[in-house]
Amino acid sequence: MKRIALLIARIALAAIFIAAGYLKLREPWLQFAVSISTFKLVPSDWLEPMARIIPWAELALGIAILSGIALRWFALIATLLLTLFFAVLIRSYALGMQVDCGCFGPGEVLGPKRLAEEAAMLALALVVTVAAFRTASANATRRRRFA
Amino acid sequence: MRPLLLLLPVIMLAAETPAPKKAVSPVKKTTSTVAAKNFKESGSPTAPVSMEIYTDYQCPSCRAFYMEVMPQFNKEFVATGKVRVVHRDFPLPMHQYGAQAARYANAAGFLGHYELVANQIFKTQPEWSQNGNIDVQVAKVVPPGDMQKIRELVKSNDPRLEETVKTDVAMGNNVDHINQTPTLEIVKNGNRQQIGGMVEFALLKRYIDQLLAK
Repeated sequence: MKRIALLIARIALAAIFIAAGYLKLREPWLQFAVSISTFKLVPSDWLEPMARIIPWAELALGIAILSGIALRWFALIATLLLTLFFAVLIRSYALGMQVDCGCFGPGEVLGPKRLAEEAAMLALALVVTVAAFRTASANATRRRRFA
Repeated sequence: MRPLLLLLPVIMLAAETPAPKKAVSPVKKTTSTVAAKNFKESGSPTAPVSMEIYTDYQCPSCRAFYMEVMPQFNKEFVATGKVRVVHRDFPLPMHQYGAQAARYANAAGFLGHYELVANQIFKTQPEWSQNGNIDVQVAKVVPPGDMQKIRELVKSNDPRLEETVKTDVAMGNNVDHINQTPTLEIVKNGNRQQIGGMVEFALLKRYIDQLLAK
């Protein structure tokens, strides 16, 4: 039962990252660069490289999580990334900044709904990470016993 | 689950494919499906790239775009024949005086003062957006005789003024599906690429340069 729950959670987490990357890649890089610029956190020179790299990184991370290879490490990376995104969104919201989140494509206004969605995604990533570490640890113990 | 990795190239290829909505829409294929009135266009008609700009005169980000980005953009891309610019009115319902400001700019356009008045309206946005007195601000830059004609056009509810705004709004709603201002529609070889929000000049320049180099 636990394994099925982990599988479902893993697929959901992978789907989130694949969708986030894919939806950004469908738009011109300039659109995501504009979204990043609204956060006023990075220098102008970084905007284009970030707008070009982040969607591919999201897509690759989603595929890696879906594959299940080294799941605990990729899930950990996803958790750290989502923590960073969440912190940035909280900061912008607290400062009352008019930002276009751009998380799943253009035109996404930052508000309580978006923050709740981000928190839910972070919780999901955390669950997958903890479960993946526990499973890996249990498997290692089992292997030691049989060795 | 691991064999799913085989899907990687398919997903990557799909990601490179343009949005289906944009690709299938026959209307989107045209450079400018509904032509803006001539006074709203600037630059060479044979420019390889067109940029259609949807704005609301009362929107602060549109003002920032016009004041900070357009002067440099006009100098570098429009005056050199690289980009043709089309202004499109998209007054938002939440802005009380946006539509009236568009009427003044378009009335001035019929008399050959479009750029001058559009710039003045954006420049003085903080003043007239408080009380709706656009007339006073426009009168500061237009010769008195022409100002009288602009007033008459605006007061008489000349259908041409409504028509030019309605045409742009219909284009924004039905073709480009605008959900914010400013929004740029950058068009090359019939392909429309939408950029919503305030774009810095340096970024826009990099993007247009790459587009021109292709």
